[in-house]
Amino acid sequence: MIEILLILLAPVAGGLLYGFERVVRARMQNRQGPPLLQPFYDMMKLIDKQTLIVNPTHALLGVMHFVALWAVVAFTIMGGNLLYIVFLHLLASLFLVLAAFSVKSIFSHLGANRELLSMIAYEPILVMFAVAFYMLNGSFSIDAVRANPSALGSLLFLFLAFLFVVQLKLKKSPFDAAKAHQEIVGGAEVEFSGLFFEFVYMALWLEYVFVYLLLMLFAGDNILLGGILFCVAFLLVNLVDNATARVRMEHLIKIFLGIAVSLAALNLLGLAYV
Amino acid sequence: MFRKFRKKSPWILHYNAGSCNGCDIEILACISPKYDLERFGVINTGNPKQSDIFLVTGPVTFRSRERLVELYTQMPEPKVVVAVGSCTCTGGVFRDMYNVEDGIDRYIPVDVYVPGCAASPELIIDGVVKALEVLEKKTKAMEKPRKLFSEATTKEGIVDRRECAQKVGEADAKDTE
Repeated sequence: MIEILLILLAPVAGGLLYGFERVVRARMQNRQGPPLLQPFYDMMKLIDKQTLIVNPTHALLGVMHFVALWAVVAFTIMGGNLLYIVFLHLLASLFLVLAAFSVKSIFSHLGANRELLSMIAYEPILVMFAVAFYMLNGSFSIDAVRANPSALGSLLFLFLAFLFVVQLKLKKSPFDAAKAHQEIVGGAEVEFSGLFFEFVYMALWLEYVFVYLLLMLFAGDNILLGGILFCVAFLLVNLVDNATARVRMEHLIKIFLGIAVSLAALNLLGLAYV
Repeated sequence: MFRKFRKKSPWILHYNAGSCNGCDIEILACISPKYDLERFGVINTGNPKQSDIFLVTGPVTFRSRERLVELYTQMPEPKVVVAVGSCTCTGGVFRDMYNVEDGIDRYIPVDVYVPGCAASPELIIDGVVKALEVLEKKTKAMEKPRKLFSEATTKEGIVDRRECAQKVGEADAKDTE
């Protein structure tokens, strides 16, 4: 029962988290920042605005991106199969890429290409993330992860690699080349407007919920540790976002495949042989 | 139901129609910690399809005309145009030059004029806040068909946009309507 409630409230929680993050980021820059409920004001405005539809497929795929991500969050909360969730999340991201390729805008295509490249960068880490928990618990089930004590000690390198993924999935600098706010005007989401941009916008909130839920799996059954991990990661992500400049796409891939994937693979080797 | 949220989330599209960059730097200064335009919920989106306020700088060079109109038409309603700087309002020091159109209101309807060379951040913020009021009025006007049938102010047969628009820093004659 409480799970269903959590699933229904997931976008709201994500929106609050996003609003809080904007305030935190502003305070880090010594600014006042927008009100906490700003994402919801944006949402209301976007619903109200005129919607320009480029083609029906494009609009529909944007909605499917949101729905699929919600399903991913739902399965994560219910405690489903970790590997299944990782691939379903990949599918959700692919909907957005397909949407971006369905229009003729050059920025949209550029963003979609970068989105695909970033998938090449982070997807191995997410798969290894699932495999590592399988090696520890003998099952891909998230319930099993949540039932066992925290494995942070033996998954430390993987945790570090996962922080890279958090940074990329939340479209934070230095790994925000796929979105690249002013450079390619939002990338894959450039052609969405009004109500349909609303869905893509809310999908970002769900992305927040999803990524931080995965992060809290490192804490196992220790809810307090989960909270600490979340707070530390949240502050660290925003600090790095404020302090660094965007890296180019090829550098992003090099950093991910060079450092983050190595860390994760090293952790897997350690789990297997040590 | 959503009416009161309209002016709480203005997203800005900034376009440089051949400006000397003076006003652009002042616009960036508005987003900086000292003036912090984001506290009104403003985001500098750079994407016409997702923005509400069109901030234009520059006296409109021949090359930028088409882009200006294109960007304007790509923005979904309701939208507000703010002309930032003397050049954008009237042509400024470039008025009557061979490669320059005198101000953006020859091409698109302007709602708020922000004077100054370069316009100071305080004045730009004032203009944006004014634009929020206009935005709210426009959304209300969109719901009523009255606007369609009202008489436009014309001078010698030409619709005078400058008369229709509101000006920053002056008494609001239109508010008394």
